[in-house]
Amino acid sequence: MRIHDRHHVTLHGEGTPPLVFAHGFGCDQSMWRFIAPHYGERHRTVCYDLLGSGRSHLTAYDRERHGTLQGHADDLIDVIRATADGPVVFVGHSVSAMIGLLAGIKAPQLFAAQMWLGPSPCYINDGDYVGGFSRADVDSLLETLDSNYLGWASTMAPAIMGAPDRPHLGEELTNSFCRTDPDIARHFARVTFLSDNRADVPRLQVPTLILQCSDDMIAPMSVGEYLQRSLPRGTLRVIQNVGHCPHLSAPCESIEAMDGFLESLGLAREPA
Amino acid sequence: MSPPDEPARSESDALYEDAPCGLLLTDRDGTILRANRTFCRWVDVEPEALVGRRRFQDLLSVGGRIFHQTHFAPLLQMQGSVSEVKLDLLRSDGPPLPIVVNAVRHPHGDGWRDALAVFVAQDRHAYERELMLARKRAEELAARQLEAQDELRRADRRKDEFLAMLAHELRNPLAPISTAAHLLTRATSPEELQRIADVIRRQATHLTHLVDDLLDVSRVTRGLIQLEVETLDLRDVVDAAVEQTRPLITTRGHALHVDVPRGTCVDGDRTRLVQIVANLLNNAAKYTPQGGRIILEADSADGHAAVRVRDDGIGIDAALLPHIFDLFSQGERTPDRSQGGLGIGLALVRSLVALHGGEVAADSAGAHSGSCFTVRLPLSTLAAGRPVDTPVPIPLLRPLRVMIVDDNADAATMLAEVLGMSGHATQVAHSAESALAIVDPDTDACVLDIGLPDLSGYELAARLREHAPRATYVALTGYGQAHDRVLSKAAGFAHHLVKPVDIERLMGILATVAVRTDAPAPAQPQST
Repeated sequence: MRIHDRHHVTLHGEGTPPLVFAHGFGCDQSMWRFIAPHYGERHRTVCYDLLGSGRSHLTAYDRERHGTLQGHADDLIDVIRATADGPVVFVGHSVSAMIGLLAGIKAPQLFAAQMWLGPSPCYINDGDYVGGFSRADVDSLLETLDSNYLGWASTMAPAIMGAPDRPHLGEELTNSFCRTDPDIARHFARVTFLSDNRADVPRLQVPTLILQCSDDMIAPMSVGEYLQRSLPRGTLRVIQNVGHCPHLSAPCESIEAMDGFLESLGLAREPA
Repeated sequence: MSPPDEPARSESDALYEDAPCGLLLTDRDGTILRANRTFCRWVDVEPEALVGRRRFQDLLSVGGRIFHQTHFAPLLQMQGSVSEVKLDLLRSDGPPLPIVVNAVRHPHGDGWRDALAVFVAQDRHAYERELMLARKRAEELAARQLEAQDELRRADRRKDEFLAMLAHELRNPLAPISTAAHLLTRATSPEELQRIADVIRRQATHLTHLVDDLLDVSRVTRGLIQLEVETLDLRDVVDAAVEQTRPLITTRGHALHVDVPRGTCVDGDRTRLVQIVANLLNNAAKYTPQGGRIILEADSADGHAAVRVRDDGIGIDAALLPHIFDLFSQGERTPDRSQGGLGIGLALVRSLVALHGGEVAADSAGAHSGSCFTVRLPLSTLAAGRPVDTPVPIPLLRPLRVMIVDDNADAATMLAEVLGMSGHATQVAHSAESALAIVDPDTDACVLDIGLPDLSGYELAARLREHAPRATYVALTGYGQAHDRVLSKAAGFAHHLVKPVDIERLMGILATVAVRTDAPAPAQPQST
């Protein structure tokens, strides 16, 4: 199967370096709809769905390969090799930041830079490290997912209750957004929230932006600061935002921070 | 627009405040702007403590908050509404309250506001749990079924492999027999003939063992084995087994050390117990390289006797160990197939031991580390210390008149020749009719095939007895079941032999006939 089909890869724009966007846990590439178009005017943009999410080929989800984030990192390397000639700028939200980290360690030559939104190398507190959650909290999430089984199933084809003030929301989108197989979601949740990549962080030699929200329960400030301390070439930017999805709730602030970072590296481009 | 009518307004206020669901209005960051009385009652908090002070997500369990951030909020952001998301609401006391939430987002100024309807979902929660459990059980069942299917496939494959192996093993002795037959026509010296005869006898014995094992397996599988239980001294069982396997052990140059004290008694079938120990000894001899060491020992504890066969041979791979007693399972074969065998010996051992109420275990530290097989059997509950049968030495032979009846002409002729070489006078018949026609009244012994074409051997014995009343009758059949023995006994047969005939055993029987008929007034004692 072509990589493009397997990950439902969508390509826009022209210009180097290409930007490759990877979404976080619980959603799919439509998360980038407020940000990716901005970069599509300046760069080639590559959006894809993590295997098991969105419109990726669920049959290609392999519980063994995708039982660790390294499996997803290998997927990312495949996507980049199939869609770009030169090094790319990788944009990863939440768990995808760690997927970018692992891919960047394994194949540094593929990356000119990385930009992480709401990253966390470890969600569970451990000694001095404050990840934001106890093991019991994470177990509670997994429990919520288990008991929300029917909830997940129903969001596979979410009924629109009526959003008369959102005419821009096309039928095609509403019926596919965050489509998730409940079993894969539960598996991916375990892989995501039980992962610990702190030992890998110092090994990434690629310049990396840490886009930290001021009030994010999933990735608290302490985590962003930890990453800046541990990354050899990390830049921390904090934006005022409540929640874990600045690219949805604060797209302008996010773009501003990302543009600034690209400029500092000489990677920013003018609109075509 | 006219001002709202007061009663109507208070009615809609009441509807809002006491609606059969919790109603909330939140700011863009989730801060609660309004909450109806129903909701406040559920979370057991005064409205003042909620409005402007708490965010909706803060009222959720931690797992719910993560779910809210990663799924609920983005979904609401993207599609403007979410429906039927299940979450857990924390309460100031009592367990979390399962809820289902619907939400709609409305633009407000530069930002937005969310309207939420919250429903208690205790029943749905309970029935989802049931569904989850049922699903889990179904998955477990499906997994077990898959496992069972796999096992069936593996068994099927083992059976295929076994058939291939069986063909090979049966062909192995056939080739030298066929060559020997060819050589017989050219043999000139007695030494040469003897050598050829040795080959044929050895290969026929080998074939017989293979077929015996096969028949035993089939009987065990069909539950047709009946034990003839008696009290046995383990030492006698071990001696008989050693006797059977001595040729192989000697050929392979092994040192056999036996340490089995006399006096440990078990209740069991002599033939089967000997078969069990002989099988284990055979295995040890086969799977130990030339010049190895085999130890056979026994002891008793906790009401059980334990017989151990240890060797310093090729051992058992850890992966094979759990399956070593499975039918058709076998260690990797060496290229020269020096071990041979069908992989049914140990399966037989396990079944036979189980029939005796015992158990057998295999142990090995791995490849090339030797093996140890332990058979545990319950100690005898019958009177211990019964007199042990001592074998009667076979006395010198007097020539007898022997009639042989078998429709297999080759078998009959060969047997006659063998008996003739020992000095007996033989008459051969291939049917009941011809036997009755030629029978000599002074016949000492009649060896009768049971499956004759014209009369059954049982009937023939009854008819012959009228002509040759002194004769001892020996049944010769392909069936060795207890049932067949009962039939032959009832028909007046003194002995019952299973084909292919064990010549030494037949000679022994004839020897006792000779001894007895030397004495006056012979009776017809029953023995088998």
